[in-house]
Amino acid sequence: MADSTILAFFISLLAGTVRLATPILLPALGQIYTQRAGILNLGTEGTMLMGAVCGFTVASVTGSLWLGMAAGIMAGVAYSLIMAWLSVTMRANQVVAGIGMNILSTGLAVYIYRLVFGIRTLPPSVVPFPTVEIPVLSKIPVLGTILFSHNIIVYLTYVLVLPFSWFVLEKTTFGLKIKAVGENPRAADSKGINVGLVRYLSVLIGGAYAGAGGAFMTIAYMNTFTEKIIGGFGFIAVSVVIFARFKPINAMFGALLFGMAQALQLRLQAQGVGIPSQFLLMMPYIMTIIALVIASKKAEFPSAYTIPYSRMER
Amino acid sequence: MTDRTKVSTSQLLSTFAMVLVALLLGAVLIIFSGNSPAEAYGAMLRGAFGSKNKISELFVKLIPIMLMAFGVSIAFRAQLWNIGATGQFVMGAIATTIVALHVAGPIPVRMVLSFLAAVVAGALWAGIAGWLRNKFNANEVITTLMLSHIARYFLMYVVTGPSGFLHDPHSDLTQSDAIPEGMHLARLLGPSYRLHSGLFVLVLAIVFMFFFWKTTTGHRIDLIGQGEKVSIYAGVDVRRTVMTTMLISGAFAGLAGWLEIVAIQYRLQSTFTDYGNIATIIALLGALSPAGILASACFFSVLLCGGSSMQRMTNVPYSVVDVMQGLIIILVIAKATLANRIKGFWEKRPKKEAANG
Repeated sequence: MADSTILAFFISLLAGTVRLATPILLPALGQIYTQRAGILNLGTEGTMLMGAVCGFTVASVTGSLWLGMAAGIMAGVAYSLIMAWLSVTMRANQVVAGIGMNILSTGLAVYIYRLVFGIRTLPPSVVPFPTVEIPVLSKIPVLGTILFSHNIIVYLTYVLVLPFSWFVLEKTTFGLKIKAVGENPRAADSKGINVGLVRYLSVLIGGAYAGAGGAFMTIAYMNTFTEKIIGGFGFIAVSVVIFARFKPINAMFGALLFGMAQALQLRLQAQGVGIPSQFLLMMPYIMTIIALVIASKKAEFPSAYTIPYSRMER
Repeated sequence: MTDRTKVSTSQLLSTFAMVLVALLLGAVLIIFSGNSPAEAYGAMLRGAFGSKNKISELFVKLIPIMLMAFGVSIAFRAQLWNIGATGQFVMGAIATTIVALHVAGPIPVRMVLSFLAAVVAGALWAGIAGWLRNKFNANEVITTLMLSHIARYFLMYVVTGPSGFLHDPHSDLTQSDAIPEGMHLARLLGPSYRLHSGLFVLVLAIVFMFFFWKTTTGHRIDLIGQGEKVSIYAGVDVRRTVMTTMLISGAFAGLAGWLEIVAIQYRLQSTFTDYGNIATIIALLGALSPAGILASACFFSVLLCGGSSMQRMTNVPYSVVDVMQGLIIILVIAKATLANRIKGFWEKRPKKEAANG
């Protein structure tokens, strides 16, 4: 390869990294709220799928991508309400509840899609969010393409959602309450914090983020819906949270790492390197296992992680 | 500790109630899709029991889903959430095909070897997750699922030409060469019905499961399901038991993978029916007891076989069946607490009346 081709490859790889990290970063940030409150929502994958199908459906029917995004977020909130009910009110085993949520979502998403679009020879598609070149900045060589020529949702995620989440989690009383509920719900309760309410909100906020991440896949990254569209991103997001030690800024680096694996895999396939494409496709999943292995041993989980709270029991 | 091999009447009734609720909600979904529930469920029943062939198909479906449900139930009782049965099934199928196509020797030897290879492959694929959990405390829900994704791509690789080492060179399809005819499991009702002698394997598995929970290994698995403290007090080596549990759990899925090749497909293909989720639902609906799993696997066999012919005969989309499965599992999860509350409600009431009187 000539030098210029190598440079082009790396520019495209890094730009792809930033773009593909977005649908991992969004649900991961949401899961920081949820997991800090002591709830492991393994149904994130399913919540993303609901966001993906509802976002796509509304965008396609109304022709408005923003309405689609809003629908994706609302679908995420609505769907995670079931998880909140199961894990907080019913005090069900969270792992089983998460598995159940994923199974239900595959049926529900395909049902909704089929109900709205019927059977077609050509799958329906939308025109996704266009690339917005930031004036002046996008003209900077190399960096311009990597950082400043993405669609609006990518910008919003890094510039707005990430700092906002950091602020809420680290600097507000609500963030403190979430932590308290996850670390020692009994003490939090005795200080007058409504444990159930805070946990419900944490799960629902996590659902909103996951819904947004799902909608990103169908209307900002791809332009159609398939039942396999999430492809494990929800689970990757959950592992990124553990990998990031429940910190938003770390989650960004974790998401970028996985975004890079995904982007590298796609580009190596396109280049036709000697490695069979199936092995490249395995990469993100192998990386998830490796990340989990590195993170889990040392991770300091919230003390009340996955433990339901009841006033009656001691 | 309750004896989970016995099923109480109230448990049975609540399980029936849940299935009924799921069927009713399914009816609502069928109405939304613009169809008549009576017609749809009628088509479903006819599709499941309508002819001798259809009944044979019920058993063909029953064999893998029950085997895999037994497998995951073993892990679930240890509170090890092995949701990667799909990957273990795939690795079993791949191992079977490798032995069938690439190992020289008389057919009976190859048959036995392929069986062993499949069981070992399934066991080891689950064992990786067990090892990762023991060694690094890595959450097995995520690792088993990731291993499933990896197994799927590995399957695609081995059957895709020209580099895949199992790819059939005479075909453009992503599949392996056919296994030798001598290795086909005998069909029980003649060549036109697919019901195969794998049924006896299932019967053996059922007998095994009924005895398994009485064995020391079974008890150990139950103990680690009650938490690390309990098992340490009882003197159980937790890590070792985690490993054994995962190995046995994966072996069942590997066994199902073996049957898929020697009794159904006769060759390895890149596409296959994914029973991973179904196995999880059956195990949980059956309250992780062998008898419960036996019953719920039969129910799901009817639902799956009936569901696919319902889709063919009416306009009802198959996803309705998937949604019903999802509803059943959510109801099962909620059931435990609901049952306790209802019991509490009934126990409180007489006291109040007594106080009034």
